[in-house]
Amino acid sequence: MSKDFYKGYREPCLSLMKKNEVTVWCELIAKTTRGDFHGLLLPRSETADPEHLVLKLDSGYNIGIRHDTVLSLEKVGYREANYKIPEKEFPVDPEKPRVRLFGTGGTIASRLDYRTGAVIPAFSPGELYGSVPELADICNLDTEKLFGVFSENMGPEQYLILADRVGEAIRDGYDGVIIGHGTDTMHHTSAALSFMVQNPPVPIVMVGSQRSSDRPSSDAAQNLINACHAAAHGEIAEVMVCMFGPTSDRYNLLHRGTRVRKMHSSYRSTFRTLGDIPLAMVENGVITPIDDKYATRRLDREVDVQPAFEEKVTIVYYYPGMLPDVIDALVDKGYKGIVIAGTGLGHVNRKIYPALERASAAGVALYMTLQTMWGFVQMYVYETGREILELGVIPLANMIPDVAYVKLGWSLGVHPNDLEAVRKLMTTPISGDMTDREPHDGYLVLQGGIPEVQDFFTGVWK
Amino acid sequence: MGTPSSLDTSGHELRPLPPAHGVTTSSSTLVWLRAREWSASVWVWAVIAAPSEAVEAVVRGCVVVGVGVSQDIADTREPFQPRQSLPSIVSIVQRQQPLGLWYARDVLASEHLLCFRLSMSPRPPGDLNPRRDPALDFPDKDLSEMSFEDYERLGFLGGLEVHQQLSTEGKLFCRCPAGRRVTNVDAEVLRHMRPTLSELGEYDQCALMEFKTRKEIVYLLDRKTVCTYEIDDTPPFPVDLAAVKIGLQIGRLFGLNLASELHVMRKQYLDGSIPTGFQRTGMLGLTGEIPFRVPELGIDRKLRIRQFSLEEDSCREVSDVGHRITFRTDRLGTPLTEVVTEPDLKTPWEIQAAGRLIARVARTTKKVCRGPGAARQDVNVSVAGSRRIELKGVGHHRRLPQLTHIEAFRQLNLLRVREELRKRGIDAPPVPEGRPFAWTSSPLVIEAGALVKRSDYAPLKDALDRGDTVVAVRLPGFAGLLGRRTQPGITFAREFSERVRVIACLTDRPFFIHSDVRDYGLGPAEWRALHSALEAEEEDAIIVVWGPSGDADTASREILIRAQEAHEGVPSETRQAYLDGTSGFERMLPGPDRMYPDTDTPPLPIRDEWLAEIEASLPELPWDREDRYVKLGLSLLEASELAAAPWADLFDEMEVADKRVARRLAHAFRKRLPHHARQGRMALPYPDRVKPLVRDLESGTIRLEACDVVLDEIMERTSVPGSELLAPFRRTTQSSKTLDALIDETVKAAAALSNRPKDVLIRWAMGKVMPSLLGQVDPSEVAKKLETALASFFKKGAA
Repeated sequence: MSKDFYKGYREPCLSLMKKNEVTVWCELIAKTTRGDFHGLLLPRSETADPEHLVLKLDSGYNIGIRHDTVLSLEKVGYREANYKIPEKEFPVDPEKPRVRLFGTGGTIASRLDYRTGAVIPAFSPGELYGSVPELADICNLDTEKLFGVFSENMGPEQYLILADRVGEAIRDGYDGVIIGHGTDTMHHTSAALSFMVQNPPVPIVMVGSQRSSDRPSSDAAQNLINACHAAAHGEIAEVMVCMFGPTSDRYNLLHRGTRVRKMHSSYRSTFRTLGDIPLAMVENGVITPIDDKYATRRLDREVDVQPAFEEKVTIVYYYPGMLPDVIDALVDKGYKGIVIAGTGLGHVNRKIYPALERASAAGVALYMTLQTMWGFVQMYVYETGREILELGVIPLANMIPDVAYVKLGWSLGVHPNDLEAVRKLMTTPISGDMTDREPHDGYLVLQGGIPEVQDFFTGVWK
Repeated sequence: MGTPSSLDTSGHELRPLPPAHGVTTSSSTLVWLRAREWSASVWVWAVIAAPSEAVEAVVRGCVVVGVGVSQDIADTREPFQPRQSLPSIVSIVQRQQPLGLWYARDVLASEHLLCFRLSMSPRPPGDLNPRRDPALDFPDKDLSEMSFEDYERLGFLGGLEVHQQLSTEGKLFCRCPAGRRVTNVDAEVLRHMRPTLSELGEYDQCALMEFKTRKEIVYLLDRKTVCTYEIDDTPPFPVDLAAVKIGLQIGRLFGLNLASELHVMRKQYLDGSIPTGFQRTGMLGLTGEIPFRVPELGIDRKLRIRQFSLEEDSCREVSDVGHRITFRTDRLGTPLTEVVTEPDLKTPWEIQAAGRLIARVARTTKKVCRGPGAARQDVNVSVAGSRRIELKGVGHHRRLPQLTHIEAFRQLNLLRVREELRKRGIDAPPVPEGRPFAWTSSPLVIEAGALVKRSDYAPLKDALDRGDTVVAVRLPGFAGLLGRRTQPGITFAREFSERVRVIACLTDRPFFIHSDVRDYGLGPAEWRALHSALEAEEEDAIIVVWGPSGDADTASREILIRAQEAHEGVPSETRQAYLDGTSGFERMLPGPDRMYPDTDTPPLPIRDEWLAEIEASLPELPWDREDRYVKLGLSLLEASELAAAPWADLFDEMEVADKRVARRLAHAFRKRLPHHARQGRMALPYPDRVKPLVRDLESGTIRLEACDVVLDEIMERTSVPGSELLAPFRRTTQSSKTLDALIDETVKAAAALSNRPKDVLIRWAMGKVMPSLLGQVDPSEVAKKLETALASFFKKGAA
């Protein structure tokens, strides 16, 4: 309890506060060598330096005061209050589809504790309704918070639980499932669900935001609204990611869970389908399919849930100077599967051949993917490729390396001691993780600065 | 009740009161209310047995607050003192459930207002004019007819927020170049702004208004001036240190208490002028003052500075048509400082003088941008009985007096409207909240298309042809008020139409007509039909508005909101300043709760070395400069004019030591340089061309009278070498000989004029002699000599 009174403060500020008998949330007058300041003493961020006290001024600004400029701190008041997201009862309409929303810890809707800067997530239906009232016009929403982890901490343990719960929701008769997720590893989780929850009868839509919803320009509300449309009314019954199409507030894209990747650290339009075209666009409640091949919504409740994961799997991103001991170390550490992200058509240098051979002999599953992201592994064109094949490295066509990692972990989980069964799973396309063809517009990275591209941008919203 | 020694407030849960626009009275005369504009934070008010005036004061945001033990309550007409009262309020809230009843027993009889305010972020002081007695009977006067005492009677108060772009290489939070203005467009981005929840899960009024407008916001991008940061697709880069240091330097010049750590905050703006929806801004310093000496206005006091921040500039608006507003992004992100003064300025001229002074202080650093748009001010004005109104984006100081004068009278006129409504005993009309349309949920609004469909009023006919919805709104008790003048050439009805234009985005003008206008528009039959359909009384006004049904709905609700506010007097607004001195509604004035810490930016410690560096290289301040000029022999007025002039640096470069020369030169600069600038010549001469003149003036080689003419020559004959220009004005050994010869010549020529009066003759003769000897000889000597010579010549002639 006592630590709360000095939240975030360390020495020397801590002694200063104690000496002057002030705590956080005290309203005070600080007399300093740089003048007098009047404000509310805020908690200090744990990551900030220990030298400064933070005051909230009446104008709403925060200001830092260095401990050694302080002559005295005079307490003149105390103000603290509880923060709560407003809850409004989510209106239930029996005519509307039922959608289950699982939370994993990423903030779909949230608001800022304006004094500390902490983000308070909105999650219950009432909270979500309070922040995005449009949702009630789309569906009846039930929510469940499964985890409270950041995107980067989502992993195999969470995949298994999530897969189970999605399966339950489907069997419970929900018309669609939404999973709120941080964006960083959303495409890993979407791949994991694609393998662990196969042939779902209803849409499974993953959604997040690139700008937190405490910002007026946030993409969160539009993403959530469109995800609700896709889950409640969409005909596409696959695992999908629903995120911004362009950076403008226009439409969302539905990406297939196994072909999607986050391609920019911060852009709104960061998610892209690689090697294929997206499944559909969602705009103002209208879902327009782009691809004509997709699994359609069914009325049955049958779904093939296979939660399993072998954690001793890794991706090795090859680079020209790579030494064989990198592979050796993995084998020594008991890794059971290695996905190589090779250069070009799927190559690594000769120096590491012996290491790969040893790994293969030790029963480590070796698979080849491409660090180019786009294109197919083709190991017959060059001698190098053929040699690598002989070492027991299995090519994975146009599977995205991250997806291959997830799939290998899942396959080894499903068949722990059967490399042949694993090979069969890995080389059989599931939910579009590999395709037999790449359309000409499956690879489209427009080059800025070129006049014709500039012309193009005069006609579209970026 | 004393201040409790230790307060455990963890348990106090403040439940928001039921929302109320205004006041609801319960049977126990206990009044709960929550003023609309404060809805963003926890405000708990208990008003007990309040006389109507006091209740009204609360509604309008009055801070008359009584706190403490019951016997103190008789003296509650004191401004709210949060410092003294908060602890006791907290404890009252904790101990007394429900709040207020406890006091009710003691206080009912005393007929006094008692309110508790509990807020996590008190509204900054100064929102309300401290004087609550509007000068309703004050006659309308022009600016030129107003005296200092007149403004005093009005209770005029003004304050400034001066924005100044800093001259840095790059922008504040990204490495794009600053200060480039472009017209090229590479791409466009479309966004919307959504209000975010405040701490109590409510929406800021200003934010909500912006959301109601349902605007599509378009940003025009040029690759060279904008990166992904400005369009909110990349987090901020570290703050530009050069800008921070310039900011600190300016802060030091204002004598401010400087922060030791800069915290970047997000200040919400939902008008689209910043793609993030907020402006990144940090407080550099607080509470300072500078000498405020304006001899021509008789001002010699201090100007108090409230706060000083460093922030990023916003977009330039390109167009705002209907539901689409377009911005150019080149300026976005440029470092900008904001100086906020205390509301100490008591006349429009003082506001102008203060604006100029603040700009000058910033310019002494020589690190601020000049030119159009580089310095802009928002000015806050209130009069007795009103509240702070912000007039935004005034580009030039000379516009300030007229603008603030007109605003003062607009406020007074709104207070007169309120007074009239009171006299008529009218209650504020309720605003419909029902769906789908205002006309389906309020008796004050009807869909009037059928009633006016035979009208021959062309705009209305066109609207009906377009398929617009026509709505009529009854304003109880407003008859005759809509036609009242609020600003020159503008009536009270404009207050309504501006709201409708901005919030309902109606653009096809006219979209609006009202019953105080009878000489055009609808005919008597149509008005009669509307009156009876709305069940309007004689003293009611009717506004007819048309547009697409969604917009017409927004418009009718907004009209009723504005009518409600008419009962409060002067609504809290940000207004746009127009060139003719009038202003128009831009948005509601945002509260302080729109500030959030920027979680993307770590706090930046302000290092002692930086401050030492700044201290070691402080530029000369305007008032120090004035003092120096006074010491140099200039009067205070001359000194202050020179110190503010663009040629002040040129003057200093001349290194004048002689007092007479200094005055003469300052005078010549002031008189001649603006003239040459108007003629399209270079604004200032090269110092090296003026210096020899100054040296000659000091040594007496050229006499002071020649100063203006020589300066003209320097400015006009730019291709002639300086020495050649000065030569004809220098006294030489020949000067007196030439003079004597000229006098002889002139005297002879005077023979023909012998019949003219003597003084005419002398003037004529001076005109003959002086031009070629200007600078060389003393004119009074010449006059004497001529007098003597002429006298003796005519004497001779006569003889």
